Amino acid sequence: MSTARASRAGGAAGRRALPPPGLPRLIPPGGPLPLADHIGRYGPVPFRAAGLITEVERAGLTGRGGASFPAGRKMRTVAEAGHRARPLRGQGGAVVVANGAESEPASGKDRLLLSRAPHLVLDGIALAAEAVGATRGYLSLDESQDELALQLAAAISERERAGQNRVPVQIVGVPAGYVASQETAVISQLNGGAPKPTFTPPRPFEKGAHKRPTLVQNVETLAHVALIARFGAGWFRELGSGPGPAAGSALVTVSGAVTRPGVYEIALGMPIGALIRWAGGPSEPPQAILAGGYFGGWLPYQQALGVPVSDPGLRAAGAALGSGVLVLLPESACGLAETAWIAGFLATQSAGQCGPCVNGLPALAGLLEQLAFGQPDRRAFGWTQRLLTLVAGRGACHLPDGTAAFVTSALATFADEVRRHATAGPCSRVRRRPVLPAPGYAWGRRAS
Amino acid sequence: MSRSLRVNPIACEAHGMCIELLPELITADPWGYPIIAPGPVPGHLLPLARRAVAACPTLALLLDQDN
Amino acid sequence: MQGRGNGEAGGAPEASGKHSMTGLTAPVLAVPAVASRLAAGGVAPGALVITSTTPLWYLTRATGLVALVLLTLNMAAGLLTSVRYERPAWPRFVTAGLHRNTALLALAFTGVHIVTTLTDSFVPIHVQDVFIPFISAYRPLWLGLGAIAFDLMLALAVTSLLRTTMSYWSWRLVHWGAYLCWPVAVLHGLGTGTDTRVRWVLGLTVACVVLIAVLIGWRLAYGWPSYAAARLVGALTLVLALIVGSAWLTAGPLRPGWAVRAGTPTHLVSGGGKTGSTR
Repeated sequence: MSTARASRAGGAAGRRALPPPGLPRLIPPGGPLPLADHIGRYGPVPFRAAGLITEVERAGLTGRGGASFPAGRKMRTVAEAGHRARPLRGQGGAVVVANGAESEPASGKDRLLLSRAPHLVLDGIALAAEAVGATRGYLSLDESQDELALQLAAAISERERAGQNRVPVQIVGVPAGYVASQETAVISQLNGGAPKPTFTPPRPFEKGAHKRPTLVQNVETLAHVALIARFGAGWFRELGSGPGPAAGSALVTVSGAVTRPGVYEIALGMPIGALIRWAGGPSEPPQAILAGGYFGGWLPYQQALGVPVSDPGLRAAGAALGSGVLVLLPESACGLAETAWIAGFLATQSAGQCGPCVNGLPALAGLLEQLAFGQPDRRAFGWTQRLLTLVAGRGACHLPDGTAAFVTSALATFADEVRRHATAGPCSRVRRRPVLPAPGYAWGRRAS
Repeated sequence: MSRSLRVNPIACEAHGMCIELLPELITADPWGYPIIAPGPVPGHLLPLARRAVAACPTLALLLDQDN
Repeated sequence: MQGRGNGEAGGAPEASGKHSMTGLTAPVLAVPAVASRLAAGGVAPGALVITSTTPLWYLTRATGLVALVLLTLNMAAGLLTSVRYERPAWPRFVTAGLHRNTALLALAFTGVHIVTTLTDSFVPIHVQDVFIPFISAYRPLWLGLGAIAFDLMLALAVTSLLRTTMSYWSWRLVHWGAYLCWPVAVLHGLGTGTDTRVRWVLGLTVACVVLIAVLIGWRLAYGWPSYAAARLVGALTLVLALIVGSAWLTAGPLRPGWAVRAGTPTHLVSGGGKTGSTR
């Protein structure tokens, strides 16, 4: 590791801190640390341009925003695109966007990270900016998070005064909406357009904000970058169960029928059962687990316990890691009704730009409502299957595919439930208040 | 050098010209939007594919070069 | 428009209604002296307007009318495209093909219309009047509308030919100019045209307007209620335009004396006849 440059903030000149042993790595105990204490705990930011990208690649860090795309590769493509792109009327350089908008309703990790370790994220922005040759940075937040925005603005100013920002960082409020935090939607908003996904190509790394190559990374990913820069790829991989997407630590939000719901920082590869025990165990008899948020998948509870919490592990089991969301569904809920509830919610979240999504998702939601709440109808199931193939992959963003994957997984996991409803009509559990959060959404129709 | 058809789903407004002009490769979904058969365009259909691309009122149909 | 040997002394509307455009055959007119006037050409005593003696003038009027019909068909095809009209025997690409072909034909006929007007040195219309509106010596306002319509037609055609080189929305913005181009062309025909009071010409023009009005109404209704405010504004504009247009037509070109009021140069207007009124 190269020698860290002296920081101008509070007498931490030349002193390297010890890497955090084990967990937690990202979230320090206690409240957010002011800049000086932050540097005291983690050491000064080792600004060192291109070498960082190699280190991040070696660490195998993957994006923590849901796609699990290799972060080092993304940084390298933006850096290369930045070198190839000609300056646009004096506006040279790439752009770094730290995406903290977190529109996944069941996820709370980004908000927590930003409020408890803002300087780690801001370090990451500065480091990434230097590595890819960026000349400006943005930090996207849900626009309703006024307090958090103020806190972050204060942190940014603090760093400005101490010379710890490599690029000016501007906070951007993203409106509520499941697809509003999608990478091209954030960029569209930065370019003065609507917060809706755009057609790719060109992808953000080629031409994003202000037509410049743009690096969009989840705030947690950038926090990991800030630690990898200080403590190295080897240290990063001390935790985790394998190379690449299973390396390092990650923040997961555990909710639903658990005793202690909340955000947990785990070593990737930890079995779901162990995580649930850590969260105090189920608060009610459990039925199934939703892993990966609303683009993820359902796992029957017993089968889920041994599944490692990592993207490869969860994908092998038929779900996904997504943005680290795990929701425990109790026996008292009806899996089919919950799926219909969320399918309805997701249909309202369409940006309204692509025909297959605008038409297909409400149709899918309607069919699921019928399966869950309606009288037995054998044809509904067949139509549902057809709709699932019709919507997948035919939109500009992944809302239709994600919804299709979510529903497909539900129909498989709750197959018994589907059969029961098809022969006997809705079960009594459909009247239970939904477990899965759907902000701003209300049922159109309930079981009679 | 093979080429593939792709539709820009945001630009597409279901005018349906492509479905009429190239039924061999493009079919309509229940709402009139195009479903494109996967894979490269067969050589003998390339001129028709080009015509379909030119006919789209919103320029939503694209003919990509496969690399 | 000048009449050939149109010798109705009082400029009575009925007489003008019987005026025929095909001057090569003897028109049946109320006033019997017309035949001799035809043979003589030039200024006819009691004539309302001095006529041109060349067939170019007939070509101008004919091609102008045909161009208007073609432009109407073109506009209709465009509107049918936007409402996604289709029947088993009429796929949408037929509408699209018609839209393209009638555009080219309309441009061709407009081109001839312009060339014959310019070549006919009888009226003081010069090449700059073709492109720059309101500067001509002959019926400046109404001819100017023709210039505007022609400029718009050129813009529509050129941008459509170069469609793939520009952004879709730039093309779309210019293409909305069609909603201006067509009515302006109609007004040009009614205002500049000397055949406005000819029954079948008027009938043809009214038929074109009715067709497009109905299709625009269909276009406004299609996809309701998205963009409701814009649709309502469009509908209101359409209704107002029809009302104002009809009022103007009855008070303007359909009344005697229009040629003078429209700005026909006085040397082309004769004060002869009992009432000295003009067409």
